[in-house]
Amino acid sequence: MNNDRRDFLKKSGTCALGMVAMATQMQFLGNMSAVAQRVMDEQKSQDISSPDAGYKALVLLFYQGGNDGNNMIIPNHNDGTISNYSAYFNARNTQGLAIPQASLLPINVPRLGNLTYGLHPNLGPLAINGTTIVNNGIHELWAPSVGTPSLAAVTNVGTLVQPLTKAQYALSAFKKPFQLFSHSDQVGQYQTANSSTQAFTGWGGRVSDNMTLPNNPGGLIPMITSIAGAQLFTAGQTTLPLAIADANTPLANVLNPAGFTGTGGAAKLTAFNSLRTQDLSSSYIAAASHVTDLAMAANTALASASDVTTAFPTTGLGRQLKQVARLIKDASSLSVTRQIFYVQVGSFDTHTSQPAGQGGLLTQVSQALRSFWDELGVQGMQSNVTTFTMSDFCRTFNPAGTGSAVGTDHAWGNHMLVMGGSVIGGDFYGSKRPDGTGNYFPTLVMGGPDDIDTGSSPRGRWLPTTSVDQYAATLARWYGLPQDALTLAQVFPNLANFPGTNSQLGFLP
Amino acid sequence: MVSKMSQVLLRLLAALLAVCACSFLVFAQDDPDPNSPAPVLMTESGTTRALTALVNGLQTTRTQHLRDQAFDADSNVTLYLTNIQVMKEEGASAFRVYVLDRNGTQYRFPVLDMQPAQGPRGTYALTVKLTDEFGFSAPPTPDGDIAIAVTWRGMISNFAKLGLGQTGGDIDSVLAAITAARAPAAAAHEETKVVRSKNIAPTRKGSSPSIVAAPEYVGYKWSGDRTRFMEQAAFGPEPNLDSRIRRIGLRTWLSEQFAASYPTFAYPNQPLKPGTQPADCDGDQINTVVDVPVTCFRDTYTMYPIQSWFMKESLYGNAPLKHRVAWALSQIWVTSGVGIQQSRHMVEWHKVLSNNAFGNFRTLMGQMTLHPTMGDYLDMNLSTKTNPNENYAREIMQLFTVGLFMLNQDGTLQYDGTGTPIPTYDQTGVNNLTKVLTGWTLCNNLSVTCPNAVSGSGNYIDPMVLTTGSHDTTAKTLLSYTGSTTTNIAACSNCTGGTSAQNAANITIYANNSMNQALDNLFYHPNVGPFISKNLIQQMVTSSPTAAYVGRVAAVFNDNGVGVRGDLKAVVKAILLDPEARGDNKTDPNYGKLREPVQFATNLLRDFNVRAANNSGQSDGVLTGRSEYTGMGELQFMSPTVFNYFPPGYIIPGTALLGPEFALMTTGTTIQRANFVNRMVFTAPAIAVSTDTNNGGSPLGTSLDFSDLQALSTADSTGGQLVDELNRRMMHGTMSAQMRSTILTAVTNIAASDSLNRSRQAVYLVATSSQYQVQR
Repeated sequence: MNNDRRDFLKKSGTCALGMVAMATQMQFLGNMSAVAQRVMDEQKSQDISSPDAGYKALVLLFYQGGNDGNNMIIPNHNDGTISNYSAYFNARNTQGLAIPQASLLPINVPRLGNLTYGLHPNLGPLAINGTTIVNNGIHELWAPSVGTPSLAAVTNVGTLVQPLTKAQYALSAFKKPFQLFSHSDQVGQYQTANSSTQAFTGWGGRVSDNMTLPNNPGGLIPMITSIAGAQLFTAGQTTLPLAIADANTPLANVLNPAGFTGTGGAAKLTAFNSLRTQDLSSSYIAAASHVTDLAMAANTALASASDVTTAFPTTGLGRQLKQVARLIKDASSLSVTRQIFYVQVGSFDTHTSQPAGQGGLLTQVSQALRSFWDELGVQGMQSNVTTFTMSDFCRTFNPAGTGSAVGTDHAWGNHMLVMGGSVIGGDFYGSKRPDGTGNYFPTLVMGGPDDIDTGSSPRGRWLPTTSVDQYAATLARWYGLPQDALTLAQVFPNLANFPGTNSQLGFLP
Repeated sequence: MVSKMSQVLLRLLAALLAVCACSFLVFAQDDPDPNSPAPVLMTESGTTRALTALVNGLQTTRTQHLRDQAFDADSNVTLYLTNIQVMKEEGASAFRVYVLDRNGTQYRFPVLDMQPAQGPRGTYALTVKLTDEFGFSAPPTPDGDIAIAVTWRGMISNFAKLGLGQTGGDIDSVLAAITAARAPAAAAHEETKVVRSKNIAPTRKGSSPSIVAAPEYVGYKWSGDRTRFMEQAAFGPEPNLDSRIRRIGLRTWLSEQFAASYPTFAYPNQPLKPGTQPADCDGDQINTVVDVPVTCFRDTYTMYPIQSWFMKESLYGNAPLKHRVAWALSQIWVTSGVGIQQSRHMVEWHKVLSNNAFGNFRTLMGQMTLHPTMGDYLDMNLSTKTNPNENYAREIMQLFTVGLFMLNQDGTLQYDGTGTPIPTYDQTGVNNLTKVLTGWTLCNNLSVTCPNAVSGSGNYIDPMVLTTGSHDTTAKTLLSYTGSTTTNIAACSNCTGGTSAQNAANITIYANNSMNQALDNLFYHPNVGPFISKNLIQQMVTSSPTAAYVGRVAAVFNDNGVGVRGDLKAVVKAILLDPEARGDNKTDPNYGKLREPVQFATNLLRDFNVRAANNSGQSDGVLTGRSEYTGMGELQFMSPTVFNYFPPGYIIPGTALLGPEFALMTTGTTIQRANFVNRMVFTAPAIAVSTDTNNGGSPLGTSLDFSDLQALSTADSTGGQLVDELNRRMMHGTMSAQMRSTILTAVTNIAASDSLNRSRQAVYLVATSSQYQVQR
């Protein structure tokens, strides 16, 4: 074994995994990536300047299935120069998909001349009482009565390889994301921040590859935690996530193997651990053992975890975010200063029954996010944590079906919400069209200037004006990702295709 | 003069005789020796340095033999391989070249060409480009020797040295470590001198005389291969199945299974119920009206019946091959209880899978397209000409037939001039297929055309029917590819202008013709063979099959030998009898697959005489009530999305290796796997009887039987026989000496008199080990 590698292991905190884990780590680092090598080299050549002090976390909330952003952020004005409520209403009311203007939750948008837009009514206080309704929702974070706004929207974001005008979209010379409108591919492209090729690693994983060593030396758990299983977003070249169950299981039990206390239990545990250091010449055995090593190490670290005090809704997402809040609370005892979390909520693929379906899901989202926000307030961590959304794609502005069964099909450019004490909230972020025309909000006209559909029955699929790469890079920069060209090119390979200084969108400092 | 009737009789007799002759032949047919020898990479005499020649272009004939020569990165080099017997269609794609550098980093170099070498017979020249094709790590530094080995049919050759950039550098310690890590699996048996088989097999070909393998594991018709076959073709090994296969051989068993009656346990045909739960079947949400029967809600509106039926059929069924193939197909043509309301709806969909598991893929496509459960799950039942829904049209192309990118016949991607994969279709293709499939809805009319319709409930039994007014009769284009025939469907010319009855009749004819043309257009797309074949291989045999293996199976998909395309029976046979699936313990480091949770569970249970909680009779198959089972992440018939529990293209993080089932292997689920084993092994009964059957309780429960293991444990106080039996039964002889010794230490920590806990200790450690969880 060469010294560099031993050094790397020590500094990357794998020593915390103990000798058992070392062995499979070694096997894995046999496949050590270019990134790890480079980080290691930098470490050698210069003492890494002490990273940004203090704790920071990114929380990705993924809406699986493709959230219809067209019904989440809606024009709530009658301005004649920009798509207004009538444009929205006329396109969606006949089929029963338009939300009544009176029920919209108003938000003021400075970037669009202080015009009023509206959030979906379920993002605010709801009259129903029950286990899923425990607070006033997230709408009031847009313009709180006390303090600064901590909720922002990034509008018409989507997968892109390079900026595109509608005319360019029709030409084969201009690169477009592969397999637009396909769930798995578009989810993948949001999670990898790479729309030009099928990637093996997610941007969360690559950020972690670059930052684990300098920022979490001696961390007792991986930088990334998923409360929703392994995800492409969480996979790096060297990064594997901690994947754990939601808050129904206390952290102390979440990775606890049973049965090591009875007759021969100690000998069993010894053998159980020892077997994972053997037969590693099979790549599959090594991979399985590596995952178990991580679990066993994390189990030790989580044995004395604490709990949170805020009431969370007893929904899937509520339980996931509660588990995240517990881990954030224990960050210092877990020796991590940077954490990335993945949570998700499903069933947004509303080809049918969208009003009830999406409505219920947005209730769940709003309630869970608000509890999370309130708990971070209790912990004094609101400015240290930024929560952001992603989803497969937007949905067709033109409804599919009618009545209570009305739904929508797969589309493209979509609106995302960002929440956090560091977020410069209360506004829209994004870009105009590449040719400088348009606004920070798509023109709500089927076959119009933002619709890539042409022909006799255009459905309203917005051509994004801001790329996933820009959106993700803005988050990663705040998080502390080094901004040198090499790192950025490695984490966000197509970022340089977009204009601006490292393509920052400005919703975070 | 022979009467007409007699002629018919005579023909029948002749046919009968022919059938008898055939079946006699089938029974008489011996399985060929499944063992493929391990390839030997030839070295300079007396050294470990690879015998090489530098290649100019691909002109292998004009090579110059070079001794102690280093090669530039990216140059083409010829290696020489012997001890193999290639089939006539095996070429470069049957081989993979793995490389380790001094740091232990793994690379894979592309094989450009393979030819019989000039010189001794049975020697082959392999032309290799010295460029990493994983692209995962930075390219190997050309500063000294690398270690290089070749794999073929899951077997790895010896490692040899090759100078990259220059010769020298300390690769010898890496080579020594590899040799040490390969302690022969069979050595353990030599140590204990246990000979359990009287069925002495011929000596294994090519094995070094210093290693005397336990005869039961290796050689012609070795039991290890049979055990692995039962993992691939059924839901795990089981003694009765094993002896049947041992008696009649793999081929005959396959023929027997192709004709076997299925299912063994009747499908749970619960009556169709309304979408809105009636008060007498609502799990007593309205508790003033009692549910009739008390289990009505569970048996109607949850997946309980089909889930427990599936598990019983997996554990005890007599037609395991059909059940296994239907399970594989269910992970391609996905529907799910996440979106489908009633168990019966899923049962009807499963019937289509099992009915066609040995049928033709085109028939499956047709029946699935009009199946009400699929129609409901992917919304085709709501797609009309004015409100088209693209969901099914997209997924039948992306997931069920042709996939996203153009494939070569061996399953590898085709690239355009700029190195970009070529999409199989675009949004226009989706739009057009969507139009073709508009207008179909559930057959809810209480008429003769809908024999199974029930008033007030959706008809999920009969195929969907056309609402003529909702069908799009405009022109459509279909996919255009080399060999495509019909790529245009003209607008309907006679769908308007007649009487409404005439119009409706013509629209019906037009819609059916259009659908058949569109499905044929997909079925004959060259991608289907490799796309479906690779997926089935991944589910049954190995996660990362060689291109040659995929190519062999795809060729059978394309033509079963008598000109039929899409014959799944032939495909299944080709997959299971392929030399890459059969033979000796596979040593290729990238061979095998992680057991998916469902099969992890069924294999474990079948290994130990699974039975009811009271130790008599059969288990009820209700594993779903235990959190350790559901926590593993693959609750049957509850796929989270249409993309299945795990995607076929999943790459294991930290590697460049395909490993679909690893998408379910997380820090959380790995502990649940261990806890599931703990529950089954240490708790007796593992899953107790519950009287609360209304809430998914377990009416009979489940337990395991270790009595035979206890007898072994009692007979041999060293524990050796116990562990060796688990090696045979669970790992078909792949247990390393080191693993055996580790487990023995833990087993003998328990008093020899406590045979039950010794047995449990051993089973727990094998079952939770990564070595067992990876099936190879």
